[in-house]
Order: sequence, then structure tokens, then C-alpha cells
Amino acid sequence: MPAADSNLEAPAEAHPIKLKLTNVAKLYVNASKPVAALQPINAEIRAGEFVVFFGPSGCGKSTLLNLIAGFEEPSEGEITLDGARVEGPHHDRLMLFQEHGLFPWLNVIENVLFGLRRQFRFKPKARREKARQFLQMVHLDQFEKAPIHELSGGMKQRVALARALAPDPKVLLVDEPFPALDALTRTKLYGDLQEIFLRTQKTIILVTHDAREAACLGDRVLVFSGRPGRIKADIAINLPRVRDINDPKVAEFAKLVMSQLEGPAGESPTT
Amino acid sequence: MKVQQHRIKYYVLGFYLLLLAVWQGLFSAQVLPDYLFPSPWQVVRRLWELAADNYLWPSLKATFQRMGIGFAIAATIGLLIGLLMGTVQVVNSCLRSLFLGLQTLPTAAWVPVSLLIYGLSDRGIYFVIFMSSAPAVAIATSDGVLHIPRIYLQVARTLGTPAYAMPVRIILPASLPSIVTGLKLGWTLAWHGGVSAELIKSTIGLGFLLQMGRELNDAAQVIGIMLLTVIFGVLLDQCVFGLIQKRILKRWGLTPKA
Repeated sequence: MPAADSNLEAPAEAHPIKLKLTNVAKLYVNASKPVAALQPINAEIRAGEFVVFFGPSGCGKSTLLNLIAGFEEPSEGEITLDGARVEGPHHDRLMLFQEHGLFPWLNVIENVLFGLRRQFRFKPKARREKARQFLQMVHLDQFEKAPIHELSGGMKQRVALARALAPDPKVLLVDEPFPALDALTRTKLYGDLQEIFLRTQKTIILVTHDAREAACLGDRVLVFSGRPGRIKADIAINLPRVRDINDPKVAEFAKLVMSQLEGPAGESPTT
Repeated sequence: MKVQQHRIKYYVLGFYLLLLAVWQGLFSAQVLPDYLFPSPWQVVRRLWELAADNYLWPSLKATFQRMGIGFAIAATIGLLIGLLMGTVQVVNSCLRSLFLGLQTLPTAAWVPVSLLIYGLSDRGIYFVIFMSSAPAVAIATSDGVLHIPRIYLQVARTLGTPAYAMPVRIILPASLPSIVTGLKLGWTLAWHGGVSAELIKSTIGLGFLLQMGRELNDAAQVIGIMLLTVIFGVLLDQCVFGLIQKRILKRWGLTPKA
């Protein structure tokens, strides 16, 4: 039986705090009546941690990701990255979107290079070299000249991943990136993502409504419940990587994650 | 009935041969006297004579020059106005209704007013070409800009693209499919407007040759020039704009996969 802490304390590690959420809340004004999307949330995410926001649709997990990305502003509270307040979108927090968002007028490597434009300290040749490295990391170095429309769904998502990683963001935000893909492709991407995580030591936040995916990918799973959204549980997944989505131990953790959602402390999830 | 894809072109060829045969048949049956309804052969011969007398090439050249310059101006300005409409909502609300209104005008309706303003000078032809096609280009461009997927802008913003670089790096390329559709339509309208204007205002050009045929009571010339107008219009529409459009739609992933 895996040892599952479900305490709300962050694991005591040597890594410094990367991202700090202090009383972050979000209200939407809907038909002149304010609706709370997120209740005040406090959380700390450490450098090099892979954190998963898990919960049903409408629980505010994607809203929180958008707040961290800077696409929206919190109604209350503040988000800090390395101690500095987060304001607006910036390439220190890059998002891998549900739809890949690749630019069809550019080919594969040009898409990756797009994110490196702002890195003036590198010469064009060095940037291209860097883009190649990241394409290699997602196993697409053979396709650098390919137009986007010729790629499969999984390949597109991997190009998008390379594009988001290349500018070396402090935090990689991942918004349910795989639901449109078939199961085989998805399984492969779970492996790739973990390998990249191990290799780059990147801080990653991933949003999902799939408990199995959460247990397979996260060091920590924050379980959200709606509405308004709040964090119900903070579960550490102590399994060695690279984890296989079909591993029974992953399934056990998935069950644990699910049980937190349905637990006695709150109402059952709405979908 | 389902026809195999590669066979279709033979059916199309057959259709046009049949059309030609019907034409010749009507001529041979003397439905109308031959000075009103010439045979295909008479039409070809008249075109040949026009070419031999050095009427045809200068006129084709003149028409294409006017169209080229007039359309280039219309497309450039239409594009700029369209980009502005796509980015500033007030401009869009005002101009869209105006341009849609103007588009209900037949292109030939711009000829009288151009005569009033410019008399018989060539500038009047450019004016008609411009008024015929610029609104269509502007509307298509603004549609393209307004329907850019939000995700492109979000991605570009997070990757650090500064606001001043957005038009060139994102807005223009992202709306290119729509812009090309607008250019294609604009070209057709420019062609309509330009030939209409030449009918009245010019001493050279396809429109002029058409009008000259009428004045000479030469039905073969009238029909011959009409045919040429169709052929060159279609050639440019399909072989230039059509091919560009096809490539862009494919590249942007906007065509259903075969």
C-alpha cells in the first residue's frame, strides 16, 4: 500500500518556493450578479515540482491557471513568482493550450523559433540550434521543415510543447492538453512529458479532470471542488518516475484522488 | 450518377464541344440572320483580323495595365482599411454598413459619376476599378481579422510579441485565407468595373473593342471580345487567385482532408 499523505502542508523539501498564491479569489459578474468562481485560495508550489490541479468541470481549476498565466486578474489576493507579483502574460509562465495553437503559416521549427525571438542574447544560428534541441527532446527533429497541417494531433501537441519549453519559462502551465488525442498517443505523451520533466527540472502545473492522468503525472495533486472553487485536498504521489498510466499503483492513487473529491467534507462533484 | 474524378475533365471538355456544336447548329439553321448571329468560325476569324490589324494586342495590354495598376491600388488601400476595421470596432461599425451598401451598386453604376468627375480621362477608369473592388477587399480583410482564433493572440502575447509587431507577425498571416478570398472577389469586381468603364470612356482596351464592334454593327467582334473578356477574367481568377487560395487554405488546414 503506498504511503499517501493527504495533509495540506507542502512537502518539506529543500527546494525554494517558486509560485505563491495568497488568498487568490475570482468573481465574475454575471447578469449584474457577482458569481464566485474561486474562493480565496492559498497554495505554494516549489521549484521543480510537478503539480496537478484536479477537479470536475467548473471547479475553477482552469480559472486559476489563467490567473497564473496572467490572462485574467484575480479579484482578490496576489500571485507571486520568485517573490515578484505576477502581472499580465509573460514568457516566464508559458502555457500549453488544449488546442495546440501552432501558427499554420510557419513550419515546425519556425514555430519553435517564434518563442525565441525575444532572446536577443542568442545569435540566429544559436537560436536555431536551441530550437533543434527542443525538437529532439520531443522526438520531432526529423520534421523540422514540415508544415503544421501535415502533422498528426499528437505531433502537433509535441511541437507546441517544444515551443513552450524553448524560451526556458520558469513555470510551464499545461491546460488539459490531451483530451482530443487517442489513447495510444496520450499514453506516449505521458511518458514524454515525464521524461522532459526529469530532464529539465521544470516547474509544471497541469490541469485535468482525469484522476488517472493526475496520479500518473503529479508529484502533488491539488483536488478542487466547485462551486465556488476551492482546494479540498493536497495529495502527494510518491511513486518513482517514469510512471506508466496503466500501472496498478497509479490506479490506486487515482482512486485516492477520486475519494477526496467525493469525501465527506464537501458536496459531490458536479460535471 | 457518380463519375470517377479523373474522368470529369473529359466530361467538361465534351460539354464545351457540345455547346460549340449547338452554336454552329443554330447558325446553320438560320434562326437569326448571320449579321446578328455569327458562326464560331466567323468569330474566330474576326478576332484573327483584329489581331492582324494590330488592334487586339494594344487593347489587351491597355486593359491589363489598367486592371493591374487599378487593382493594386484598390487592394492595398482596401487591405489597410480592412485591417483598421478589424482592429477598431467603431471604424468597423461605420464602414461595414457603408461598404455593404456600396456593394449593392452594380459596378457599371460608377461609370456616370466617373464621367462627371474625370471626363474621358483614364483616371476615371481607375476610379471605377477602385470603387468596384476596394470595399470587397476591405470587408473580407476585416472579417479575417475579426475571426482570428483567440489562441494565436494569446500564444503570441505570452511568447513576448510586442504590440507593434502583432499586425505583421500574427494578424496579417492569420487572416490571410480570408484576405485572399477578398482579393479574388475584388479582382472579379475590378474586371467587371474596368471593362464597363472602357465601354464609354476609352479609345483602347477590351471594352473599347466591344463598343467599337457595336458601332460597326459587327456581331462577330462583339461576341469575340465578350469571349476574350470571359477567358482572361477566368484565367486570372482561377489560375492566379484560385491557385494561391487553394495553397493557402491547405496550408492553414482549412480544407477537409480527402
